[in-house]
Amino acid sequence: MSPVIDAHGHVGAWADFFVPEPDAAWLLDTNAAIGIDAVGVSHLLAVGRDTVAGNELALAEADRYPDRLGVWLVADPHHPDAAALLRDQLDRPGVWGLKLHPDTHLCPATDPRYEPLLELAAAAGVPVLSHGQTRSPYSDPGDLAELARRHPDVALLVGHAGLWPDGYDSAARLAAAQPNLYLEICGSRLTTRWLERMVAIAGADRVLFGTDACFLDPRPGLGKVRLARLSDADRALVLGGNAARLLGRRLPTALQEMP
Amino acid sequence: MRIFDAHRLLGPIPGDHVPSADVAGLLAELDHLGIDGAAVTPSGGLYGDPATEQPAEARHERLVTVPVVLPAVPGAGWPGDPGIVVASAPAMVRACPVRHRFALTGPVALGWWQELAAAGIPLALDAGETGLDRIRALLTAVPELRVLVLSPGYRSLRELAELLAAHPGASVETGTLVAAGAIEWLARRAGAHRLVFGTGAPVWDDAGPRFQLEHLRLPDADVELIASGSFDALRAGERP
Repeated sequence: MSPVIDAHGHVGAWADFFVPEPDAAWLLDTNAAIGIDAVGVSHLLAVGRDTVAGNELALAEADRYPDRLGVWLVADPHHPDAAALLRDQLDRPGVWGLKLHPDTHLCPATDPRYEPLLELAAAAGVPVLSHGQTRSPYSDPGDLAELARRHPDVALLVGHAGLWPDGYDSAARLAAAQPNLYLEICGSRLTTRWLERMVAIAGADRVLFGTDACFLDPRPGLGKVRLARLSDADRALVLGGNAARLLGRRLPTALQEMP
Repeated sequence: MRIFDAHRLLGPIPGDHVPSADVAGLLAELDHLGIDGAAVTPSGGLYGDPATEQPAEARHERLVTVPVVLPAVPGAGWPGDPGIVVASAPAMVRACPVRHRFALTGPVALGWWQELAAAGIPLALDAGETGLDRIRALLTAVPELRVLVLSPGYRSLRELAELLAAHPGASVETGTLVAAGAIEWLARRAGAHRLVFGTGAPVWDDAGPRFQLEHLRLPDADVELIASGSFDALRAGERP
């Protein structure tokens, strides 16, 4: 049985709107009920105003739920000691990789300030998940593809596959052309129709399931993949096979890819 | 459990090639997801000008047509007067005040909504297009009118809860209520009878809401209301 791994999650509240269930306990109860084995989260405090405190909160959740919750450490390009702080935290249990939020940090993904953070990810052998948003001056998938070209040893995940439906086709073609660029699919605008097209264009081995919980509810996110017209093999790759391959030993032992 | 999608489009749409461009394609989509029936708005009514073209109804026993009406001064809207709408007894009508540029609470439209309210015909309004403030103003002006708020999104839960509390005529479609736990949160506050399963497909996703319906943490009776009972009551002209 292939694992089901949510590659894009959060915990915590957010200023822009009301989230009824911002806590990890609700999220993991729901995941258990619908068959999501593990979720990688960044804390929304880290996404927003305080990466240091927010990352510690996420690490505490990973300590509390070591078999079911991993951490994307948010990388702040403005923090003068970001690389040093993250280098230490990358060795903590439950860490899956680095998370970039170019839009909230007001720093384009191609900005030189991200370079030492990408180099850190390459040295540690961890993937990087970035918010991706078509036409954003900070995180357009074309710019994330450029970042992937600069760092060919880093698996770079385009969050939300670019977010807007009119950019999905382009994002999928960018992933098809760049071996270390992947599409992570969470977002309220994704339809099964576009998920099927992404798999056809980029390949099932380049598309990763994500839900954006607790911004979004994990149930509709999972439903899109469960009910998409995909082969069983392709669905297994999207739901967790690809994440298991990219995360390797950083996943809980029970979910690691068998040799 | 009978599942009825209260918000779908039938016909071609701009910006994509969709299976529901015709009735056969739409029914195949419903079958794939195990949805028994749907209220469908012909895309020509939404993306065209009802004053100059009226798309054909969706003729199939599983489909209910929701025509787009356009209240306006003579010669600029459709149909000519609200009595024609009442006489045709649709399950629900839809209006697009921003897309079609008419005043939702102007004197002409208010006359229409009062006649529809008296006849028990509900009105569907897209929240993203119309805005919740306009919908609130309409319900304040015509409190007897039943309004189904389509595609409210996941970022306006505070406003939606207040709208439902203040206006008994308001109901909300669930397809885009995708913030974590949003449907249960609204059901606890306003009652499941105010929530109507719908997807907005093919513009919005239908598979996720369909899967979520099976996994709501609500009593079975509440889930059945959301799945079809709330819409049945709405089209029957029942007051909440």
